[in-house]
Parts: sequence; structure tokens; C-alpha cells
Amino acid sequence: MKILLAEDDFASRKFMSNYLGKYGDCDITVDGEEAVDAFLMALEDGEPYDLICLDVMMPVLDGYQALKAIRDIEKERGIQGNDGVKIIMTTALNEERNVKKAFEMGCTVYSGKPIDLKKFELILKKLELID
Amino acid sequence: MGEDFNTDSMLDMFLYESEQLLETLENVVLEKKDEDCFDEASINEIFRAMHTIKGSSGIMMYENITKVSHKLEDVFYYLRESHPENVPHLELVDHVLEVSDFINGELDKIREGETPDGDESKIVDEIDKFLTRIKTGIEKKGDELPPENTYVEPEQFYIAPTGSESSKYYKVSIYWRGDTQMCNIRAYTAVYSLKEIVEDMQYIPEDIITNEATSEVILAEGFHMLVKCQATEEELISTIGETSGMDHVEIHDCTKQEFEMGFHHQEEDNIVIELDDKDKGSEEKKEKKEPTPGDYVIKNKESGKSKKLAKNQPKQQPKQTYISVNVEKLDALMDMIGELVISEAVVLQNPDLKVPGLDLTNFQKAAGQLSKITTELQDVIMSMRMMSLTNTFQKMNRIVFDVSRKLGKDIELEVIGENTEVDKNIIEHISDPLMHLIRNSVDHGIESKEDRIAAGKNPKGKITLEAKNEGGKVYIIVRDDGKGLNKQALYEKAKNNGLIGNRAMSEFTEKEIYQFITYAGFSTKEQVTEYSGRGVGMDVVVKNIQSVGGNLEIDSMEGAGSEMTLKIPLTLAIINGIVMQVGNSTFVIETNAVKEFVRIRRDMLVKEPDGEEYIMLRNECYPFIRLNQRYHLEESKTDIEDGIVVVLEHESKFICVFIDELIAEQEIVVKPIPSYIRKVQGLSGCTQLGDGSIALILDIAGLIAGEERK
Repeated sequence: MKILLAEDDFASRKFMSNYLGKYGDCDITVDGEEAVDAFLMALEDGEPYDLICLDVMMPVLDGYQALKAIRDIEKERGIQGNDGVKIIMTTALNEERNVKKAFEMGCTVYSGKPIDLKKFELILKKLELID
Repeated sequence: MGEDFNTDSMLDMFLYESEQLLETLENVVLEKKDEDCFDEASINEIFRAMHTIKGSSGIMMYENITKVSHKLEDVFYYLRESHPENVPHLELVDHVLEVSDFINGELDKIREGETPDGDESKIVDEIDKFLTRIKTGIEKKGDELPPENTYVEPEQFYIAPTGSESSKYYKVSIYWRGDTQMCNIRAYTAVYSLKEIVEDMQYIPEDIITNEATSEVILAEGFHMLVKCQATEEELISTIGETSGMDHVEIHDCTKQEFEMGFHHQEEDNIVIELDDKDKGSEEKKEKKEPTPGDYVIKNKESGKSKKLAKNQPKQQPKQTYISVNVEKLDALMDMIGELVISEAVVLQNPDLKVPGLDLTNFQKAAGQLSKITTELQDVIMSMRMMSLTNTFQKMNRIVFDVSRKLGKDIELEVIGENTEVDKNIIEHISDPLMHLIRNSVDHGIESKEDRIAAGKNPKGKITLEAKNEGGKVYIIVRDDGKGLNKQALYEKAKNNGLIGNRAMSEFTEKEIYQFITYAGFSTKEQVTEYSGRGVGMDVVVKNIQSVGGNLEIDSMEGAGSEMTLKIPLTLAIINGIVMQVGNSTFVIETNAVKEFVRIRRDMLVKEPDGEEYIMLRNECYPFIRLNQRYHLEESKTDIEDGIVVVLEHESKFICVFIDELIAEQEIVVKPIPSYIRKVQGLSGCTQLGDGSIALILDIAGLIAGEERK
């Protein structure tokens, strides 16, 4: 599985890349803009990401902006619905309006921090990213 | 539950919404339990509730809740589509309540931060079998089954954070010894090691890495951090470790708000103002509250400061119908209004004003206006804390249903005056006592169907729960038409348990005998049932009621039923009192307790050989207390014809006290006797008068009890 991680805090980044590394190759970006760039690059190389883990609070572009950009790019290329990359937003923001907005914009999973790893793994299985 | 919490968080929203749905569901079910079947409206309501819970629990991945609600939704789907006849109603009611209880149990676990690990398979199986019978019934009738109610998996999911509700906030301060070098670097080392285990932190001084001068600041004032983490104080201390030069480390708990205010005191906004989203679909609100992409871009990444986001927190005040306010703020407000009343008195009764010949007409007018406003302010503030008893009373429905069913009794609960409002504090303290009293009525009060028929009563028992406001007090009455209390049995049990010494039954009034059941260690039930009879209930009930200044009255008629009345004063803090002088001390008595003032002639005073005195008034004999003797006061009147006798009443008991003179009637703020003063019988508090002096508040009940015990 090809994974893209966007996280600006070093400790979280280390933790997530260690955890996700178990399931596949994990590329690391530290802000929203880098994440979108990385996504586009992989798409054009013909090796798109299967899963993107996006932090919400990031420099340059925040998680919502990155999410919008990624879904817009997919739409432009005719990638729709279930074919799109699975995006998990991770953040300490847990307010209902934040979750609603993320879902509206096409985020697949919204996970509060600290991350419930058991549920996380269950979801990866539900999304058929892992067995 | 359901009162103060933040309904913005996804998890809280889920919990709140689901609980509301389940509460409504339970009410619907209990309302219709005696019917033959559910009507269309109820079926739809129950279906909708289960459908919503199924959906939201699915998104949040609480699988057991999803499965069980889907199963029940299935049943009601068939009921809605096919309208089968002869559905076993009581069995269905049981299943619905079972599901409701299961889900509530899981929701409780989630709220406490535990895993909702309940096993739903048994319930699902039972409902499945029930459903199969219904489906068979439909097919037998020759009707076609509607299309399957298949479960569609959600496409988006929300994972609730683990234990973030239990994040703790601390203020950590490190001090180094005076001769230590490079404290700024040492401070940074501490920050670095803490970063592993904290979720968020800020510190001051901030530029420890770049600015050497901070080392001196740290030496002088210490290095301070605000941290948010799951760790305990011990874990924090051991992570910081002990390096050379460190003098000591201080850790204090702090609140979330203190953490968020940080060291710079940017936003002093403490009151959490939430909106009761009654019209969540409203366009206007959506525009103001929706997060916009770009709000969360991190602007200033500076060391030591918490993340600054691009979005401003606009302080809008959209339309609101309800405001959820921190209860501590309300308490503070209550205290302040008390102080205001005292201050008002100090101003209005100021000795400076007692200049003879001063024309105070304008002043009096203004003072009157001031008094009016303060009284109004008082009323509004008291009313802010008032909540209706509806919720509390609704809970009783379920208890009556459960207990009566388990005991095989048929009982109806009648609720009157549930819209009566009482102070929030009172509700919290009487909820448990009420449940106990209701359980008692169901368990001990109401007889079995056979007994009732034999006695010529309606086989269906009736319990009435009534609330009303009267004379500054709230009355909550639990009345049953059961078998009542047997005075002889009560007397004997009390005697056998050594609770009343050797006194004969005739020495007690009826009411006093009934009160025996509130004594600790008393129980007339031979067997201890699951619900009552263990003898530890009623005395705790009475304690709880007394802790809010109320009391419990018991009345009964053997064969006809019993009546338990909770009498609770609406407010303890500010009362109308009469100020009086005895010697050089000032006392205050609650106006309600004063029956009359009389001047006594010497021949009305009766003195017993043992020194006790009584007053004969209109052929009635009252115990008599000389306050000057009781409290060893000097310079007071001793001749009975010089002073005034005040006749006081408390709960139908009377007592007379002797005072020198009356001073005034006024509103006083009751303050507790400070803890450094030992408890004195007969005094329940103190207050500050307009001239600044202190008056003691007489406790009538205490005085009367003191006399009786002699």
C-alpha cells in the first residue's frame, strides 16, 4: 500500500510514520502544499497513493485546503467516488461542524487525536486497504 | 445528565442525541404499554429513533449499538409496512426496553471513556426469533413480505479520540540553584524530554534557545510551562528528571481555560456560551459557524507559543433561546447578590444618615428605588438556578414500571405539578430520596392484587407524585393507596431494635411513631428484598433531604394508604427575619417562625421545682426559655414584665423566648457560623446587619429539640 502522510509536528510525524510503515511505504510531507504536490506527483507517475493521512492544522495550506485540492484534481481527471484516494484526516479538533465539513468535502475518515489505533486498524480493513 | 456539557464535540453530540432519542422512545413505550398494540405514530417514532441511532453509531464504529438498533429497526420496519395483527404487545415492549437499556449502558461506557464492549448477540437473537414469528404471521395471512430492510454500510467514518476527555492540564515550574549556568539550555532539555509525553505545551520565557539572557530570568523567576497531557504528576516529574543545579520542581493542576489563556492573557472569555440548536437548519447560523478551508493554516510558528491559527474567533452573538452557563458562575452570582443585600442595608441604615434634622425625602425615594431593583435582581438570579421537576418525575415512571412488573403488581403512577420549579441544587439532592420513596410505595405500600381485591380495593394500585409551591416552600408528595403503616408494629420494632428506650407507645404522637421508619437500623420487613428492607434506606433519605434544609413528614391510615411529604425551603440564603435585642447581643428569628409577641404578667409564668419555666397563654402551656440565661448574656432584662415574650412555632411545636426588645424586621442574608467557632445548640447561622454589627440567627427547631430532651 502506498501511503502519504502530512503532519507538521515532529513527534506526531514520527509516531504516524512508524505506525503506518507497517502497512506499506510511507512518504512524509510537513505542510499542506507539499502534500498536494506529492499527491499530484504520484498521480502523474502512474503510481497514485492508496491512502493519505492529513493533519488539519498545518502551515501554508491547512488540511481542508489540501483535501479540497486533492479532490478537485481527482474530479478533473475523472476519478470519482470510491476510486478516489482514501483520505483520513487526523486532528485534535472534534467539533461536529468540523467533522461535517470534512465529510462534505470528501474526506473518508475523520479521526480525533489521540488516535484510537484499534479502530484505525478496523477502518483500514473496512476500506479494504489491508486484509 | 443532559444539563451542562459541550454539544459541539462530535462525541458529545452523538451521546446527547442518542440519549434524547432513547428517552423519548422510553416515554412513548411506557405511555402505550397498556394498549393492545402500538399505533401508527408510535411505530414511526420508534422506527425513526432506531434508524438514526443505527446511522450515527455506524459512522462512529460502535458496532454493537449498530447491530442491535438495526435489528429493532427491522421489527418496526415490518410493523410499519405490513401492519400485522396480534403482535404480542408486552413482549415487544420488553424487547424495546431491553434494547434501550443496552444502548444506554454502552453510551454510559463511552461517556466514561471506557470501551463499549457489551455483547449484543443475545438480544439480537431474541429479537430475531420474535421477528421470524411476525414474518410467519404475515405470510400466513396471505400477505407478501415487504422488501428486506438491508443494512447499508456507511461510507464515511468518524473515529473518536481515545481518552482525550481525560486530558489533564498542569502548570510546571522548575527552579535552579542560584549559581547554575546556562539555565536556558537546561530548560530546553526539560522541554524536549516532556515533548514525548505531552499533547501540547507552552512555556515562558519563550526564546530560551536563542537568547542567553533568559538564563538570568529563569534563575530569578523560575521556568514555567503549561502542559496538556495524559500523564500523572509523578510521570511528569520523573520525565523531567533531576539534573545538577535543579533546586526544585513545582507542579499544580490547572484548568483547560487557564491552559488556553496561556501566559499572555489574550482572551479573558470564560463563560462558555453554547447555543441550543433548536433550528439547526437555519441558513444564517450555518454561515456563521461553518469552518472554512484556510481557517486552520498555522501562521506563526514561534517557539514556546501555542499554535496560532489563521481564523479569528469572532465573538458573535447569534440568536439564542438557551444559554448553558458554568454552574460555578451561578454560585458566585448567588453569593454576590447576598453581599449586595448586606451592602444595601449598610448604606440605607448608615449611622452617618442619623443626623437630626436632615431632610431625607429625596434620599428615601432613591433608596426605595434601589431596594426595588435589588429585590428584582435577587428574584431573577434565584430563578436562573431553577429547573423544572419534569425530568426527575419522568424517571419515576420507569421505576414504577420495572418494580411493579417484577413483583407482579399492577400500579399506576399519577404525576401532578411536574412543571414546578426548584433550585438545581435541590433537584440533585432529592432525586435519590424520591426514587427510594417510590420504590417503598411499590414494594411495601401497595398490596398484591389478591390482597387488594380481598380488601375491596381497586386491584390496580395508585401512586401519586405531586409537587407544589406554597408559602416559600416546595412540597413534593408521594402518596399511595396501599396498606398504610401499622403503628403497633412500628412501635414494637423500634423498641426491639433499641431505638426508643423504654418509653411507652402512648408517649408518642402518631406522627412521631411514623417517623420511626426513618431511624437508622430500622426495618419492619421480615425479608430483605432486592429493593428495600435493608434498613439503611430511610435514614439516608432523610439526611439527603435535610442537607438542602428540608424535612420529611409521614402520614398514614392503616388500610387506606400512606403519604410522604418532602418540605423543602425554596431558598436558604436570604430570609425575612425579625431582629431583636437581648442584653448586648442581637438575635434574628425567621419571620415565618414567629407566631406572636406578648407582654406577660407575672402570674402567667409557672416555675417548676427543677427550675424549668412555662408560660400559660390562653389556657395553653408553652415551654419558656430565657435567652439571657441560656447564653449567659449580661445587662439584660430579668423581670418578666419588663421584656417581651416571643411565641415561636416550628412544625406544630411551640416555644417561648424572652427578649429585651424588638429592633426591626428586615431581609437578612444567612451566613453559616464560621468553622472556627464550636457548634452551639440553638444557633443556625449569623448575619451582618445594616450598622455592621453581627447578629446570631436562632434555630427554632434546635431550641425546641433541646427542651424536649430534658
